Amino acid sequence: MIQQYLLGALAGVVVTAFAALAAHRLASVKAMGRLRSGADRQVETLTRANAAQSELIALHEQEKQDLDAAIAQLCEDLQQQSDSADEVRSELKAAVEGKDQLAHKAAQLAAEAARLKALASTFERWHEQMISLMTQNQDMHAKNRELSSIVRHVVIVSLNASIEAARAGTAGRGFAVVASEVRALAARSEELSKSYRDSLHRNDLTTTATFQDIQAGGKMITASLSSVESLANQFQSTLH
Amino acid sequence: MICAHAKDSIERIFFKAAKSRLTMDAGDACEIVAADAHGAHSMPDANLVILTVSGIAFRLLLILHFDEEDERTRQYFIKKESERPFLEVFLEICNLCCGAVNQELLHYFPDLGMSTPYVLSARCMPYLEALKPEFLASYAVTINGAISLGATICMCAHAPIDFVAEVSAVEDTSGELELF
Repeated sequence: MIQQYLLGALAGVVVTAFAALAAHRLASVKAMGRLRSGADRQVETLTRANAAQSELIALHEQEKQDLDAAIAQLCEDLQQQSDSADEVRSELKAAVEGKDQLAHKAAQLAAEAARLKALASTFERWHEQMISLMTQNQDMHAKNRELSSIVRHVVIVSLNASIEAARAGTAGRGFAVVASEVRALAARSEELSKSYRDSLHRNDLTTTATFQDIQAGGKMITASLSSVESLANQFQSTLH
Repeated sequence: MICAHAKDSIERIFFKAAKSRLTMDAGDACEIVAADAHGAHSMPDANLVILTVSGIAFRLLLILHFDEEDERTRQYFIKKESERPFLEVFLEICNLCCGAVNQELLHYFPDLGMSTPYVLSARCMPYLEALKPEFLASYAVTINGAISLGATICMCAHAPIDFVAEVSAVEDTSGELELF
C-alpha cells in the first residue's frame, strides 16, 4: 500500500515533473521568443542606428574632404598673396628709390637752372660792348662833322681862288685850273663825308638793334631759366 | 609771316600802352594817328628812343620820336620832377610804355625779354629797312593837342606770327615799376 502510495506519489512527482518540465519548456520557449523578438528589434534598431551613423560618418568624411580642399586652396591663396606682397614690396622699394632719384634729379635741374641764370651777366657784358661801340660811333660822327666842316671851308677857299684867278686874267689861267680841281676834290670829299655819315647812322641803328636783341634775348632766357628752376623746386618739394 | 590779325593786335596793344603810359595824368588826351612809313620825317630834329622786346620767333622795336629842344614837350614830362633831367624822365616813361606792351604780349608769348632804352638820331630811321621788318608802321602821337611825339613799330619775325589780342578798352593807369 505504501508502495502504491509511493509509486502513485512517484508517478505524481514524475507527472508533475514532466508537467513542470513542459511548462518550463513552454515558458522557456515563450521567454526565448520574447527575448529573440526583443533582440531582433534591438538588432534592427541598432542596424538603423548603424546606417545613420555610417551616413553621418560619410557626411563628415565629405565635409572633412571639403575642408581639406578649402584649406589647401587657402594655403595656395595665401602663398600667392605672400608672393604678391613680396612683389609689391619690391616694387615699392624700387618706386621709393626711383622717387629719391627723381628728387635728386629735380634738385640737380634746379641747381643747373640757377647756375645758367648767371648767363644774364654774359648778355649784359655783350650789351655793355654796345655802349663802347656806340661811343666809338659818336666819336666817328664828330670827326666826320669836322671833316665836313673842313670840306665846306675848302669849297669856299677854292671859290675864292677861282675868283682871284679870274681877276688875274691870262696870268691866272693856270691857277684857275688848280682852283677848279680843288673845288672838284672838295665836292667829292663832301659826297664821301655824307656817305660816311649815312653809313654811321646805319651802323648806329644796326648796332643798337642787334645788341638790344641780345640784351632782351638774355632776359628772356634768364626768365625762362627762373621758370624752370621754380618748377624743378616745386617738383622736388612734391617728392619729399 | 606776320598775319593781319597779329599786326592789328600789336597796333592795339601799342595804342593802349601809349595812351596809359605816355600821358602824365590819367585825364590827359592822347591822340594817335597813322603817319608815313618813316614818321620821324615830320620831326626832322627829333631824336629816337629805341627799345626792343625779343621773343623766340620775333623781335619788336618800339621807337619813340621826340624833340628834346621843344619846350612844351620838356615841360610836360618834367613838370612833376623838375630836379631830374628831361632825358632821364622821358627814358623812364618810354620804358614804362614798352613794358606795358611787353606785359600784354606775355599773354600770348610766354618767353619774352625787354631791352633797356637807347637814344639815337632820327637820321637812323631810313635804315630800319635794313632790319628787314615784316611790320613797319609809324604814328603821330599828340598829347592834349599840344605835345607832339612820334612812334614807330618795327617787327621782324623768322616764323609765322598769328594771334588775336584781347585788349580791353578800359585804360589801365595803374603804375608798374619797370627798372632799367
